[in-house]
Amino acid sequence: MADDAKKQEIFDKMKNGVIQYDEDACKEGAQEALDAGLDANEAIFDGLVAGMEEVGRLFEAQEYFVPEILMCADALYAGLDILKPHCKQMDIGVKGSVVIGTVEGDVHDIGKNLVKMMFDVAGFTVYDLGRDVPLDQFVEEQLKTDSELVCLSAMMTTSMVGMPKVIEKIKAKNPNCMIMIGGAPTSQELADKWGADGYATDASNALKEAIKMVSFLKKLRDEKLAKK
Amino acid sequence: MDSEQLKAYLKTEGATIVGVGDLTRFLAKEITHLGRGISLAINKGLTQDAIERLLKLQRLTEAWLKDRGFRSLSVPPDSDRIKGKYIARLYHLVSHKTAATCAGLGWIGKNGLVINSDYGSKLSWATVLTDAPFWPDSPYMESKCGDCDLCVKYCPSGAVQGLLWSRQAPEAEIVVYKRCLSLKKKRHVFEEKPNCGLCVTICPYSRKKQVKAKVRGVKTGS
Ligand code: B12
Repeated sequence: MADDAKKQEIFDKMKNGVIQYDEDACKEGAQEALDAGLDANEAIFDGLVAGMEEVGRLFEAQEYFVPEILMCADALYAGLDILKPHCKQMDIGVKGSVVIGTVEGDVHDIGKNLVKMMFDVAGFTVYDLGRDVPLDQFVEEQLKTDSELVCLSAMMTTSMVGMPKVIEKIKAKNPNCMIMIGGAPTSQELADKWGADGYATDASNALKEAIKMVSFLKKLRDEKLAKK
Repeated sequence: MDSEQLKAYLKTEGATIVGVGDLTRFLAKEITHLGRGISLAINKGLTQDAIERLLKLQRLTEAWLKDRGFRSLSVPPDSDRIKGKYIARLYHLVSHKTAATCAGLGWIGKNGLVINSDYGSKLSWATVLTDAPFWPDSPYMESKCGDCDLCVKYCPSGAVQGLLWSRQAPEAEIVVYKRCLSLKKKRHVFEEKPNCGLCVTICPYSRKKQVKAKVRGVKTGS
């Protein structure tokens, strides 16, 4: 097992690899993390995702423009491809199914994909609708797959306004389905205001929330069955 | 800023021709800050080997620019075939042909391809965009094909229309690609690329520096 200094060094390598849009550095860092026996999940979030957060700041400071951001995203994925198969499958007792996507008008899917990955790792069945998803498609897909959970992602103040519309429609058709929202401009307050059942700041918390929701639904169902 | 040093460097590294074009008015807003297009070509069809050599030249260009504090974005030679990468979403915003004509390396011929006055249309192209304030080379504004219509005559699918390109009307349908493609489908005999390529080999500019044997049997002019 690597000591803390070594671990930090490897994570920094991945982080800087993302910032410098250096795919090779990200791949090497990811491989080193595996060779050193580090936890793949931790490497993803404390290494690769930490780098992407810094990239977001550089973008806001106008040091990075769109081409750099895209190359950074490619570097992140280069590392992710190596680490992902090694994420420990968690045995969490509950398994649910989720419809997930980034709402209409929004092409930001990096964060959504990380949330999706956490669900995959936890053994959930995931129906990924991708990005820039027409609002009605969430409603249709939920009905079609009878998923317990719908997860909506938005990274723009202009696109997140679509969320309450989806929430309303899904709740009208299927009041038992639970909805979670996320993405930088959203918040617990907005989730409450729009009638979503959950909100999370990041991918790990998204999974924790989801597990709570699915367990809750199962309990409800079991209670109903018991009464019959 | 003078581009001669970079050009000379790339030529020693294997580029056949290099030019710098002002692309500002052709770029979408995501990349307008990268207003100069370094257009480079090697005298070879777009084989795997040619692609790798061009990619290497692009990496050298990026490093050269980075050392001097400039940004760059490389659009690979086979940009249309690259899938599954985020950066690939920007590739379709840049045309190698536009970059080449802006960089004064050629005009768009009747065959719809860039024609360079020394090498014709057998070159393989790559583009590197940059914010380095190079003085641009003087662009081609119109076709130099003149009355020559060999590619029109020899095109087996009737795709080549015989139109003269000009920057004023760049969207004119010089080649009817649907017809060109229809031929590709019928002929599977070509290994590297399915194009028949007659409009390339027949062009007098392409033959200027070519081994004679390859085009033997085809009469020049009319
Ligand atoms: C990367 C990026 C891009 C990339 C997107 C690539 C891609 N495929 O995703 C590109 C370059 C394409 C892009 C384009 C644009 N962008 Co942009 N982009 C960003 C940037 C820099 C980072 C976003 C990111 O990926 N973060 C990293 C990930 C890991 O974090 P995350 O998305 O927040 O996800 C985490 C959590 O939020 C959460 N989460 C996410 N989704 C969900 C869902 C659920 C259910 C849950 C529970 C949790 C959850 O978990 C994730 C992981 O922990 C941000 C700036 C920033 N600092 O955020 C701007 C930003 C989002 N973009 C912005 C804008 C304006 C645009 C453009 C219009 C162009 C422009 N002017 O820049 C276009 C929009 C095109 C469109 N219609 O969507 C603005 C949005 C402003 C606004 N109105 O709100 C931002 C905030 C920049 C800014 N400061 O102005 N962008």
